[in-house]
Amino acid sequence: MATVSLRQVRKAFGGVEVVHGVDLEIADGEFVVLVGPSGCGKSTILRMVAGLEDITSGEIAIDGAVVNERDPKDRDIAMVFQDYALYPHMSVAENMAFSLRYRGVGKPEIRRRVEEAASILDIAHLLARRPRELSGGQRQRVAMGRAIVRDPKVFLFDEPLSNLDAKLRVQMRTEIKRLRDRLRATTIYVTHDQVEAMTLADRIVVMQGGHIQQVGTPEEIYDTPATSFVAGFMGAPAMNLLPGAIAGGAAVLPDGTAIPLPPDAHGYEGEALVIGLRPERLGYLAPDAPTDRPVIDAPAVVVEPLGSETLVTLDLAGHALHVKVPPRSVRRPGERVRLAIAPDSVHLFDRDTGRRL
Amino acid sequence: MRRGFPWARHAVLVLVSAVMLLPFYWVLKTAITDENIYAYPPRLTPLDPHLFNFVDVWYLIPFPRYLLNSVIVSALAVAGNVVLNALAGYALTRHFPAKRLVLLLLLSCMLIPFQATIIPAYLISARLGVLNTHLGLALPLLSTIVCIFIYKASFEAVPKSLIDAARIDGLSEWRIIATVLLPLSKPAIATNVILAFIWSWNSFMWPLIITRDAEMQTLPLGLARFLSYLEDTTGALYAFVVMVLLPGILVFLMAQKEFIRGLTSGATKG
Ligand SMILES: Nc1ncnc2c1ncn2[C@@H]1O[C@H](COP(=O)(O)OP(=O)(O)O)[C@@H](O)[C@H]1O
Ligand SMILES: [Mg+2]
Repeated sequence: MATVSLRQVRKAFGGVEVVHGVDLEIADGEFVVLVGPSGCGKSTILRMVAGLEDITSGEIAIDGAVVNERDPKDRDIAMVFQDYALYPHMSVAENMAFSLRYRGVGKPEIRRRVEEAASILDIAHLLARRPRELSGGQRQRVAMGRAIVRDPKVFLFDEPLSNLDAKLRVQMRTEIKRLRDRLRATTIYVTHDQVEAMTLADRIVVMQGGHIQQVGTPEEIYDTPATSFVAGFMGAPAMNLLPGAIAGGAAVLPDGTAIPLPPDAHGYEGEALVIGLRPERLGYLAPDAPTDRPVIDAPAVVVEPLGSETLVTLDLAGHALHVKVPPRSVRRPGERVRLAIAPDSVHLFDRDTGRRL
Repeated sequence: MRRGFPWARHAVLVLVSAVMLLPFYWVLKTAITDENIYAYPPRLTPLDPHLFNFVDVWYLIPFPRYLLNSVIVSALAVAGNVVLNALAGYALTRHFPAKRLVLLLLLSCMLIPFQATIIPAYLISARLGVLNTHLGLALPLLSTIVCIFIYKASFEAVPKSLIDAARIDGLSEWRIIATVLLPLSKPAIATNVILAFIWSWNSFMWPLIITRDAEMQTLPLGLARFLSYLEDTTGALYAFVVMVLLPGILVFLMAQKEFIRGLTSGATKG
């Protein structure tokens, strides 16, 4: 187990910089998830930690020791790849034992560790098979087993679930979570899937375009997104981001609905901004129900019943507003929908910088 | 392709195969009958087959010696190609400065005929003191550019993450080639084996120039020498030809399946 530090880490490919000075401190035993859209530099950062890519500038330290010049094999890390990267010409057991053989671990010890990892992952009955005789989920387990037998200082995962179908992905996510709680090892996990990030992480690092947008616990990221990008990226369905302004101590939505703000927001009077509303935090009101909260009243455009709830898209003065409402409360497009807004669930962002206000 | 009459397709294939195989059959038939090849009309089936021609070839000339030389040279050439081309092919899958220039140089070297390099090759061999030795015979055949590219294409088809995984698992570059890439490149290995074998087995010009003693000569030279020895010897000559061809055919049959995959994989995987 170990800490990992990234200090002003940059990476350029042939003159084009794709990672722009990343700082990150990962504590011993912490499970950190790097999340962001495709191409934002997550894999590149992971590969730099692994030693598979050179670091253009900056420092990476594992357990306090700078490892910039160390080969991957001397960094004591294990990596799980998106395509599993199992050696096709070796059996499952050989795949798992492979790295230990090159580290001078004795045969009985190798056997013990492989069997232990296999039983943790429930793949003991597959040890004699070749990777091509396994299903996607089984390969995934073997790939994790190969990392576990190493008992490394740091685990690295690069989109380990994205080659699985939706159902298996949920199942393996639970599996990884269980494993995480059992091993309590320092882990960096890369994904573009914000649900994986929310469910697995001790801390989430949201990235965009080679920059870190925000670092925080899943709750912090969800409750107080630092930028409008984070707000829009994390959460499903995504947060509504509407253009608005502050006037008379209230945030005014495009349709004119005014949401009174706490006194500390009054300094922004007159400013153009982005107003963020989480779809699940807008309270559905029955047609005649009374309320003392600000109310949005708009026609439904799209109605998507999911059974447990219904997703409705409203037309808010030309802007789409997505909301979650109770099942069977809204049935067809054209119906008017009333929503109560809790003032503390309103997020305000600067329209130019995207920063939270 | 899928439409039509399967029997018609088979008939065409059988016909084409017959055309290809007929010369081999004729050589074999003549070798075991001593027949006059100009006889008209030609006989299709052998009359009074016997093996005396093979015995003649074995004892009349130092055939075993030629065979041994050929086997040694071909073994060296095959080993050289399989190992050296793999190393070169791996290097070409990595990034290094001026890689494009190196590729261009290699490709343009393929355009130079061997005859044009014979004099420098001879001079170099002389300097190295390997004239008239097995090593000298094999030296120019130890690596072939085409076969380097066959390895390169095969290595590039191996997912990059496998090599990354191997690196994290602690393998050196040498071990990555030996334990990850080569086991996954059997068709490329087979192609190297077959081509290196055929080229060295059939090589004539270079052994002619570099050998001084009859003791060092290979089968193709022996065949030429044999031709000048005897007069009315079509049967014996053809027996010789059969004995020269046989090992090549055996090697090909053993590696055939992988060989064909090796030749076509570069084409389909880009
Ligand atoms: N080997 C490479 N050569 C050139 N550009 C690369 C290379 N690897 C990644 N990139 C570029 O770096 C950026 C970040 O890539 P990556 O880290 O793979 O993104 P992510 O994993 O977040 O999807 C992308 O724009 C990608 O095109
Ligand atoms: Mg990636």
